[in-house]
Amino acid sequence: MQGNNAHRQMEALQEAVAKVDGRHASFARRARSRGHNDGSIVDFDIAAIDGVFKGGFPAFALHEVRCSLTRDIGAATGFLAGLLAGCMQQRQGRIVWICDPACRLDGGQLFPAGLAMFGLDPARLVVVQPVDLKAALWASDEAAKCQELAGVIFQVKGNPRNFDMTATRRLMLKAQQNGQFIAILRQGGEEEANAAATRWHVRAQPSMVDPDIQRGIGLLQLNLVLERNRHGQTGHWTIAWNQKTHGFEHAPTHYVDRPALSSDRSDGAPQMGQVMAFERAS
Amino acid sequence: MRLVAVDACGREAGLRMDQTLSDARALFPDLDVFDHDPAADAVLLSAIAAWCDRYTPLVALDRSCQSDGSAAAVHCAGLLLDITGCSHLFGGEEAMLLDVVGRLRAAGLMASAAIADTPGAAWAFARYSDRQIITSGDHQRQLLDLPLISLRLDLPMLDMLKKLGLRTIGCIADLPRAPLAARFGNGLLQRLDQALGRQEEAISPRLPVPELSSERVFAEPIILQDDIERTVGQLAGHLRQRFDERQLGARALELKLFRVDGHVACVRVRAASPVYSIDRIVMLFRERIAGFHDDLEAGFGFDLVRLNVLESEARQSEQGEMTGGSMRGEGFSNLVDKLGARLGTDRVQRFVAAGTHIPERSFGLLPEASCGQKDAGAQAVLWRQDNHGHEGDGPAVLTRPVILFERPEQVEAIAEVPDGPPVRFRWRRTLYRIERSEGPERIACEWWRDGRGGYSRDYFRVEDDQGYRFWMFRLGLFERETGNPKWFMHGIFA
Repeated sequence: MQGNNAHRQMEALQEAVAKVDGRHASFARRARSRGHNDGSIVDFDIAAIDGVFKGGFPAFALHEVRCSLTRDIGAATGFLAGLLAGCMQQRQGRIVWICDPACRLDGGQLFPAGLAMFGLDPARLVVVQPVDLKAALWASDEAAKCQELAGVIFQVKGNPRNFDMTATRRLMLKAQQNGQFIAILRQGGEEEANAAATRWHVRAQPSMVDPDIQRGIGLLQLNLVLERNRHGQTGHWTIAWNQKTHGFEHAPTHYVDRPALSSDRSDGAPQMGQVMAFERAS
Repeated sequence: MRLVAVDACGREAGLRMDQTLSDARALFPDLDVFDHDPAADAVLLSAIAAWCDRYTPLVALDRSCQSDGSAAAVHCAGLLLDITGCSHLFGGEEAMLLDVVGRLRAAGLMASAAIADTPGAAWAFARYSDRQIITSGDHQRQLLDLPLISLRLDLPMLDMLKKLGLRTIGCIADLPRAPLAARFGNGLLQRLDQALGRQEEAISPRLPVPELSSERVFAEPIILQDDIERTVGQLAGHLRQRFDERQLGARALELKLFRVDGHVACVRVRAASPVYSIDRIVMLFRERIAGFHDDLEAGFGFDLVRLNVLESEARQSEQGEMTGGSMRGEGFSNLVDKLGARLGTDRVQRFVAAGTHIPERSFGLLPEASCGQKDAGAQAVLWRQDNHGHEGDGPAVLTRPVILFERPEQVEAIAEVPDGPPVRFRWRRTLYRIERSEGPERIACEWWRDGRGGYSRDYFRVEDDQGYRFWMFRLGLFERETGNPKWFMHGIFA
């Protein structure tokens, strides 16, 4: 009983410290202290998103971030960089970024200064550029085997046939065994069935209006659809990146199309005005 | 058309070099004639040089004659092997010479060879004498009988000497040096001294000498990949002792496979950290060979396998083993080695910062395997400082995109003059309407690199009506630098 009290007090103090240092209170920065302290479970610190993950967002698993159009790659990369930076807070080690050759043709390349702005240290990245998809798949498999890596990002274009259920399931198992954050960054692809724990669809959205600057660009906003979630429900949100606090925050949109269907369920996410239904719940 | 080379049968039939083709055909109507191809000759010669690596690491292409394609140049083609300290491995000088000549003759090459104390003397005896092995110290006396052409002299000088009645080396060896030099220049004396050993002559080997090397000769050639791997393991085992004595590890290794028919295959690997354990060296070569997609032609098998250490480095302290667990960082460098061996080391890279503000030059990608562990720390600090600058009183918005185009792409843009943001632009055949924009952020040219007239860039962050955010710049200041500035797309924001 006493221990429990002390524990709670400790948590409260940590919370207070975190509030002073605003950065730590923000997105995905705080590993849950109950039970695991290894960073395997992270919080988004956005009530609406944390609500759909029963037991927290599993960092050490296979995730997929995809965008439909080639020009959305910026939005998808930015979201993944923020997500990765959040998940890597507790984990030491390098991150391997494997780039399918098809992505390099028209997609440009990663800009380290831009990644650093999302809190991701570019010096941690190892960029692997194989000559063909087969080699890229082999490289991702080898990287997932390495226990000292903190994360593996596999960037593919479209839906290659040999990157199927079996390949993704293997990655998922390795991620769970070795404690790695493994993500597929799919550029311009369709949604397809695979073993990923979550699948996010990211689209750029007009930025928040900045009242101080006329016609200026405010906080950047992303349209986020959680298309697949093995640990709970799916959802649809608009999030904004706050450079001051260095984290994503919920950006309530001013329109509500329809009441969310899923929020009527008893075990659903807490009702939020801005949660809206979408047609493609998987 | 003239003959540049004649084989033994041709010589018997009375043909000689520099003869016109019509004369030769008149002498011998059934003559087989082939076009002279100096490039192919050079390729063949360097292939033979690669094969000669089996005898000594110091193999030099003979460059004493100009390769101008003349008859003399063809005749001069040859190789110089420095066999100091190597001959006992082949059972003495005589056995070694017989082995070299025998194998080359078996391959269909009419080779002649000689062993002497100096490169110049060996060159002379190989071409103008029947004596093949000149005992040490004896070459000065033996050389005296040889013709002057064996001193590697050019044709005008030979003509001049011939007119004076000087025909053998013995004629000029004892002449007073000053008048010789005054009449013929220093070239003649230099060649004479080099042949006689009065002046040092260095040969320039085609390859650097490996730091360590281990080899194995097979009586029965090996073909299977398993056998090659096992051999690599054995050779690495030999090297292991040397590594331990010197506390070294290899950063770059080379496996040379000498095929029975004379072809030499060379497989190189690089390691991210000094390797010395047998398993890791074998693993590196296994991945490298697997990455070839069966390009390693075994043919009739390899009869000599050699493992060279091209680059070595002092080992890092092995403190990790004290705690019992595996060494920290070993798994990662293993992975880098494995990826680098299969995909090529230049495809496994890391970001390094560069000291410039021009975005596409502000960072570079260097092979991970060539960066030491120490660099990693320095780089990390550099990026983080950059990051802190923006976290503090820096802008509250993202000022740099996450995706950058290596080469900025030109767009058709409509913009306000002189320095307004674009209003509309067409990029990759799509029209974008700008709703909001911020800028400009001016990045001036680096005059010490681009030249003084280089245009400065005005960067704008723009957002279109769909919410896509781009990083664009105008090249050149309107009217001050150019009348018609161009617009470029350089990056995509999140």
